[in-house]
Amino acid sequence: MYPALIEEYVRPQSVADALAAIARYEAGDAIFLAGGQSAMQAMKSRMLRPQCVVDLQAISELKGIVSDASGVRIGAMTRYVEIAASAELQGGFAALGDAARRVGDRQVRNRGTIGGSVCWNYAASCTPAVVLGLQGQLRLTSGDGASRSVAADDFFLGPLETARNDDEILLSVEWPLFVERSGSAYAKWGLVTDALPVIGVCVRVSLDADGRCESARVVLSGLANGATHVAAGDSLLLGCDGDADAIEAALKRIAQDTDTHSDMSADADYRRQLIVSIGRDVTATAFRRARGEA
Amino acid sequence: MINIKLTVNGEVFEDTVTERMLLVDYLRDQLTLTGTHVGCTYEGVCGACTVHLDGEAVKSCLLLAAQADGHEITTVEGLANGGPLSALQQSFSDEHGLQCGFCTPGILMNMSEFLTLNPDPTDDEIRHGLIGNLCRCTGYVQIVKAVRNAARAMRETS
Ligand SMILES: Cc1cc2nc3c(=O)[nH]c(=O)nc-3n(C[C@H](O)[C@@H](O)[C@@H](O)COP(=O)(O)OP(=O)(O)OC[C@H]3O[C@@H](n4cnc5c(N)ncnc54)[C@H](O)[C@@H]3O)c2cc1C
Ligand code: FES
Ligand code: FES
Repeated sequence: MYPALIEEYVRPQSVADALAAIARYEAGDAIFLAGGQSAMQAMKSRMLRPQCVVDLQAISELKGIVSDASGVRIGAMTRYVEIAASAELQGGFAALGDAARRVGDRQVRNRGTIGGSVCWNYAASCTPAVVLGLQGQLRLTSGDGASRSVAADDFFLGPLETARNDDEILLSVEWPLFVERSGSAYAKWGLVTDALPVIGVCVRVSLDADGRCESARVVLSGLANGATHVAAGDSLLLGCDGDADAIEAALKRIAQDTDTHSDMSADADYRRQLIVSIGRDVTATAFRRARGEA
Repeated sequence: MINIKLTVNGEVFEDTVTERMLLVDYLRDQLTLTGTHVGCTYEGVCGACTVHLDGEAVKSCLLLAAQADGHEITTVEGLANGGPLSALQQSFSDEHGLQCGFCTPGILMNMSEFLTLNPDPTDDEIRHGLIGNLCRCTGYVQIVKAVRNAARAMRETS
């Protein structure tokens, strides 16, 4: 298996040059290539048949994690291996590291990027669920120089669909606000260790001064519709102080009310069971992190 | 067609390749470095094609040859490069860390980078590091032992 004929390979040094390269082709005939851990498979199976490949590897402005008082910004070309090792992604951002450390295998983590993962938005994937759980902002720019910021809730439109236009490049995933006393976590279960999620759970909580949950987000991965925000789950955790019984009860309700599906990996009931068993640990970890405990 | 210039196992190559040529095909077919194997139909799940790109373990079936332009590639042939076996290779031989040997090049390339980052790994860490490499023969027990012993040998000589 190898890709269909590619007419042009370019390696721009800047975002402006990458956008200029894409603009020379009809929409969809030129594609951006990040780590290639999804795009190469898709090109070899001929699901993607680009005439032009615009390789983003040399664009340094797309790389790196910046964390300061005004929030966190992760460049689109930042790789899993860097997110996994980042000491800056603590507390409310810790779920990003949880996911990155468990994507695929070492070789995939050495290449795959946060930008490629969210732009691909595979149904059974980890990073889209975490970015949705942590309410990231996706910063996009296009050839006319205009840049826009799209909330994760509006960006992920279902499996392999996002709000990104073909001629737009994702610059970064950003969090403009730093929320005190917040914690997050992500975990998944797959058919083999670190495989694609049959079910994954991302939970983020923020606590008030008395340690009670004042805001929460519950997002599931591995459902037929891809990363899914369970808004009812958010309210079930409100007021909770991290008590194990309360968490268990909330997770059972979430599992009961979730429209899970059956496929060759797991049936619908098993997926519900996974939501509870993974979710209780993830939620407890998110509370611990919000309290500043390890 | 596109011109590429890259370093493979310390030697500089300048070549003209098609844009769609995979790095693994360039290494195997054009440079006849057939130690890098193809174990899946290129879905990127078996790890037999693992090489180093600027020192990091990557799957060469998920890269275009053109992407390696300007970079340094090391294949399994580059571990000993005609000289004595590396400590890791020697350990696989000593511990019978292979049966048919098809998966071995990819495992050596993955673990050689892994050990530079984690010179004293636990068995669990070794097993976690090996997830991207499928072995249909051994059951991994001797592979883990070979990596563990290589790590010790490398620590003792460094
Ligand atoms: C063996 C294996 C195991 C895996 N296991 C997991 C797993 O456990 N969990 C999981 O979530 N995923 C897993 N994956 C998938 C992996 O995470 C990829 O989805 C991810 O790495 C894609 O990122 P990339 O940088 O490789 O993007 P690419 O494959 O290069 O690109 C993906 C898509 O995004 C577009 N794109 C990339 N960057 C940009 C940008 N900056 N702006 C605009 N468009 C862009 C490309 O045009 C392409 O359409 C696995 C993959 C493999 C091969
Ligand atoms: S040939 Fe199987 S991962 Fe590359
Ligand atoms: S030794 Fe035969 S596949 Fe590993």
